[in-house]
Amino acid sequence: MTRLAGGLIDRSLPLNFTFDGKAYTGFQGDTLASALLANGVQLMGRSFKYHRPRGVVAAGSEEPNALVELRSGARQEPNTRATVAELFDGLAARSQNHIGPLDRDFLAVNDLLSPFFAAGFYYKTFMWPKAFWEKLYEPAIRKAAGLGSLSMLPDPDAYDKGFLHCDLLVVGGGAAGLAAALTAGRAGAEVILADEDFALGGRLLAESDLLDETEASVWIATVRAELDSLPNVRIMTRTTVFGVYDHGIYGAVERVADHLPTPGDKVRQTLWRITAKRAVLAAGATERHIPFADNDRPGVMLAGAMRAYANRWAVSPVKREADAIAIFTNGDDGHRTAMDLIAKGAKVLGVIDVRQTAPRFGDYEVFAGATVTGTKGRLGLNAIEITRNGRSEWHPVGALGVAGGWNPNVHLASHHRGRPVWNADLLSFVPGADGPKGLIPAGAAVGKGGTEEALADGMNAAITALAGIGIVAAGIALPKAANAAAEQVAFWHVPGKKRAWVDFQNDVTVKDIALAHKENMRPVEHLKRWTTLGMATDQGKTSNISALAVMAELTGKSIPETGTTIFRPPYTGVSLSVLGGGDTGTTFRPRRLTPTHHWAEAQGAEFVEVGQWMRAQYFPQAGETHWRQTVDREVLAVRSGVGLCDVTTLGKVDVQGRDAGEFLNRLYANMMGTLKVGMVRYGLMLREDGHAYDDGTCARMAQDHYVVTTTTANAGLVYRQMEFFHQCVWPELDVQLISTTDAWAQIAVAGPNARELLSRVVDDFDLSNEAFPFMACAELTICQGLRARLFRISFSGELAYEIAVPARYGQALIERLMQKGADLGVTPYGTEALGVLRIEKGHAAGSELNGQTTAQMLGLGRMVSPKKDSIGAVMSRREGLAADRRRLVGLKPLDAGTQIMAGSHLFTAGAAQTMETDQGWVTSSCYSPHLQSYIALGFLEAGDARMGEVLVAANPLEGQEMKVEVVSPHFVDPEGGRLRD
Amino acid sequence: MLIPHPLLGLRDSQEFTYLGDAALMQRPDPAADGAEAAFCDYVFLRDNPAGVHRELWFHEQGDRSWLVVTRDTTTHEILGAELASNLKLGAAQ
Amino acid sequence: MTDLTPVTALGGTVPRSEVFGALSITENAGLALASLSLRQGQLAPAPFGLVLPDVSQTVSTGGYGAFWTGRDQWMIEAEGQGDSDFAARLKAEVPEATVTEQTDGFAAFEIQSSAGAAPIEALMHKLVNIDPKALGVGRATRTGLEHMTVFLIRRADDRLAVIGMRTLAGSLWHALAVAARRLEA
Repeated sequence: MTRLAGGLIDRSLPLNFTFDGKAYTGFQGDTLASALLANGVQLMGRSFKYHRPRGVVAAGSEEPNALVELRSGARQEPNTRATVAELFDGLAARSQNHIGPLDRDFLAVNDLLSPFFAAGFYYKTFMWPKAFWEKLYEPAIRKAAGLGSLSMLPDPDAYDKGFLHCDLLVVGGGAAGLAAALTAGRAGAEVILADEDFALGGRLLAESDLLDETEASVWIATVRAELDSLPNVRIMTRTTVFGVYDHGIYGAVERVADHLPTPGDKVRQTLWRITAKRAVLAAGATERHIPFADNDRPGVMLAGAMRAYANRWAVSPVKREADAIAIFTNGDDGHRTAMDLIAKGAKVLGVIDVRQTAPRFGDYEVFAGATVTGTKGRLGLNAIEITRNGRSEWHPVGALGVAGGWNPNVHLASHHRGRPVWNADLLSFVPGADGPKGLIPAGAAVGKGGTEEALADGMNAAITALAGIGIVAAGIALPKAANAAAEQVAFWHVPGKKRAWVDFQNDVTVKDIALAHKENMRPVEHLKRWTTLGMATDQGKTSNISALAVMAELTGKSIPETGTTIFRPPYTGVSLSVLGGGDTGTTFRPRRLTPTHHWAEAQGAEFVEVGQWMRAQYFPQAGETHWRQTVDREVLAVRSGVGLCDVTTLGKVDVQGRDAGEFLNRLYANMMGTLKVGMVRYGLMLREDGHAYDDGTCARMAQDHYVVTTTTANAGLVYRQMEFFHQCVWPELDVQLISTTDAWAQIAVAGPNARELLSRVVDDFDLSNEAFPFMACAELTICQGLRARLFRISFSGELAYEIAVPARYGQALIERLMQKGADLGVTPYGTEALGVLRIEKGHAAGSELNGQTTAQMLGLGRMVSPKKDSIGAVMSRREGLAADRRRLVGLKPLDAGTQIMAGSHLFTAGAAQTMETDQGWVTSSCYSPHLQSYIALGFLEAGDARMGEVLVAANPLEGQEMKVEVVSPHFVDPEGGRLRD
Repeated sequence: MLIPHPLLGLRDSQEFTYLGDAALMQRPDPAADGAEAAFCDYVFLRDNPAGVHRELWFHEQGDRSWLVVTRDTTTHEILGAELASNLKLGAAQ
Repeated sequence: MTDLTPVTALGGTVPRSEVFGALSITENAGLALASLSLRQGQLAPAPFGLVLPDVSQTVSTGGYGAFWTGRDQWMIEAEGQGDSDFAARLKAEVPEATVTEQTDGFAAFEIQSSAGAAPIEALMHKLVNIDPKALGVGRATRTGLEHMTVFLIRRADDRLAVIGMRTLAGSLWHALAVAARRLEA
């Protein structure tokens, strides 16, 4: 055990956990990383490419090395950073990316082969032979790569999303963030304070700095208590603001239950969409290291992280208490770690400072003008080589802290292509002025990392931000604090022959960057792609700037001349589960149910998804073993008796106003203004480019009142188009539009017995052909006083009506019709039978109205009225469209029992089957029980003049070919006598 | 994005559907000489500027109004939004 | 009176109601709705004594209510009249205006909190991208909820009506119930 005194862990709450099956104990407040270090575990994983033994490097979300698998079974979660995994009792973690035990990984052979795995090796090695890529290289690479593994089981947990709004979003709850939130909270602004950590305080938790001469945790607790008491402040811990989107929208993930063994009733995570008028980016800074030979051994870590482990978690990073710790630094900051470790009673070898005139802040040895030039220790550090003035000597150490300076966390500030700018004094990039509007970076995120300056900067940022939205915020009394000494020099890496790691996660070394330079992959974007630097889970948080500095050195340019790395969302990895969010399975998306849905369900109907709708597809009866039996029965029942079909899904739009008729004249290709009250007309709508768009019916209920229907699929689009022409093109017309699709349950009653059946439900209404002819409509009452609308229209070609009642009565109506029609052979039918009936009748539907067809092709050319303008009228007369000779035809196979594949192309018998000889294509196909033959509809060159011709329908994809006869598309009752009788 | 609806204030752009170039409001005169060419232009040719663009948005999950939104396509900055019907009626006067 | 028996939007013979901690959600099958649109140049009438409200507002008096749905357009509500021909009654009040029956176009869910505004606001945070602070008492708006379009009417600090398309009633209930249940956890 290497626990120190103090820290912010609760020693009264021990937590048991396992790592690679071995049992350990930590405390409440630990992360997995701090608890492992406290147990003397330095080796936590293997590197991505070379499978080098690796330990923890950082103490926060920037961690590149310590990636582990958490939990098991369906909850197995790969690539979790041990540094942010909160410890809970029973946590089971495993190391990953190795074959065999972690300390004897068989894939470590890759390290010996490293000369072959240099930068760009993928691109160079796996090029040839080409066929090997899919069969050999890719599977092998996939197996060896990818770090952790997936369970391949469905995620059992629930994920959620939500929306929040505020005046000020404060990203980060450290010194600057707390000061900003408190300033804004006291000013009465609506404030959201978000921090990725489970505790507020940020870097204050990791430092030994005093605030008002007491431990910082006391001040943090006081501020938290005040913020909690303010109703206008929402504190969101365990919440990462991962991206900035347009107009002040921020994406954030709250890890609601990741710190619990299982979520129980809670959701696992919540995706928040925060709309903030202003934001303060107080995201702090990330420390960078200094590459030197063999700097990747477990035990080598960032000096600031070492401080965090010592101060916050009371952990020394060595395996045995007796082991000494050394610090390698290019500035004053490394000395802070030495001081804090000494204060905690750890054994410190000294500080290796690259500066010749290195300061000394306490009682420890300083190796001034020295560098670390080598390390030893197979699975963990046990010695370092210190070189000074050309003389080298080895020193036994158990851990080495490396302090290369701090990079402001500019990520969110660069999300709108905001370009960070180089600050030569700070030796780092800071947010530029062109970042997202309304986002003000503050504190360490702009390089003001001293406690005193961060507090003041946070407060001032809040005051400035709120002033921008008219809220006056007063300054607050900040605690007395100091800024630690922070002198440093530009020292980016220790030159040498051995490998010096820049990016631990992707195994990118200084040599790889030199190779990229040699191969002219010099712009940072190329460098990244060629070497994989800065990719994967950490996105180069600890490595990008160092790599840039190395490249600058090689090119002889300055760092800003060499390039700038900007960042895209997300700041840290976001699980696909939370982005997908919400429900799975049948509740994955909303489902529209027709008014007779529950009834149809009770009848045993099979359903089909049509857009959002669930429609009854067919109604199987006992004894029917194949859907075709059912559909054939339903179709024949309509042709011989009477059938019922719920057609509520057709779009219905109420069009009223003095100019309703004129408006519809302009909307539809044919005349609607001349329609008599009480009558219905089929309507064809074109697109403005002249092609057929949608069809439906217009019923004139009153002089200034029409009800129009659209196809199910286009209901929303047609309504939108109607509003477009109403508001954007002809707003001078007096028209009012509103959808009534859902309000009315509409049932098609079709078949020779339709009139008789309806006569049994209407109240004193004359249904005779004289009183209520084909294409009539009326408002009436049925079933003793229920208001209803009746339309005599037919999609099937039979005597047919559509009857509409308030939706709440839809189920009762169909039940009544079934009951009253028992002796008439009444039969419910679904969308399959509906499709067969309309193909038999030659009615166009979606397969024919596919956006490529014209009114002429549909045989409806004469509907485009030459007497008026309408949408698409001008363009429909274009040469290319008007001259189109393809026409809708019926097709019958010479062998009645062979199905014609929809999509087949039509060719003259005996002709070569090429694009040039193509005569048309098959749009819809079905079995007609009425004709006892397969039939189809299609478009054929000059089709209306080719009745009786025998063609070949070819489906070259499947190697099918069959002979078909061209017939009228009206397979049933071509004269239309049935629907008019 | 947030759309500054002239009646309802800032609204989530997800409530809207997008159509594009507001030039679609200027439907050519079908009776004029060269109407076909004018319609071809109207239907098929759109400006796609990198910069300030006037475009049509439909508040489908809102008050069902069509808006003309002026947006900088390079920054997504929105410079204004007006009711399309007001614009059209105003232009006619 | 017809001898057909209606069902509620959720398909039951009685409205569904369920309690989730401080929140209760109840299907309001009795609410009658009809849209009222002004003809061009028409002045706003005052059906049932309602002063038709301005943008984003709702008013109610004596069992009737009105909320703004678009320019020169309102939805008129009548409590307990869901089974009547309310559109005809409204048309009689405003013969010059355009009236369309909407009762069965929608399913109304009344959400009541027993703990003040906070649970209502917490529910809104999970469902709609509308700032609850901007939807105070007497305000109404239309927005998206789980890919559905809904009207939100803040009837009181502790009462919110969510009115969505009737054919989506089941999905809307599911969305509301799941969110309310999660607030309990």
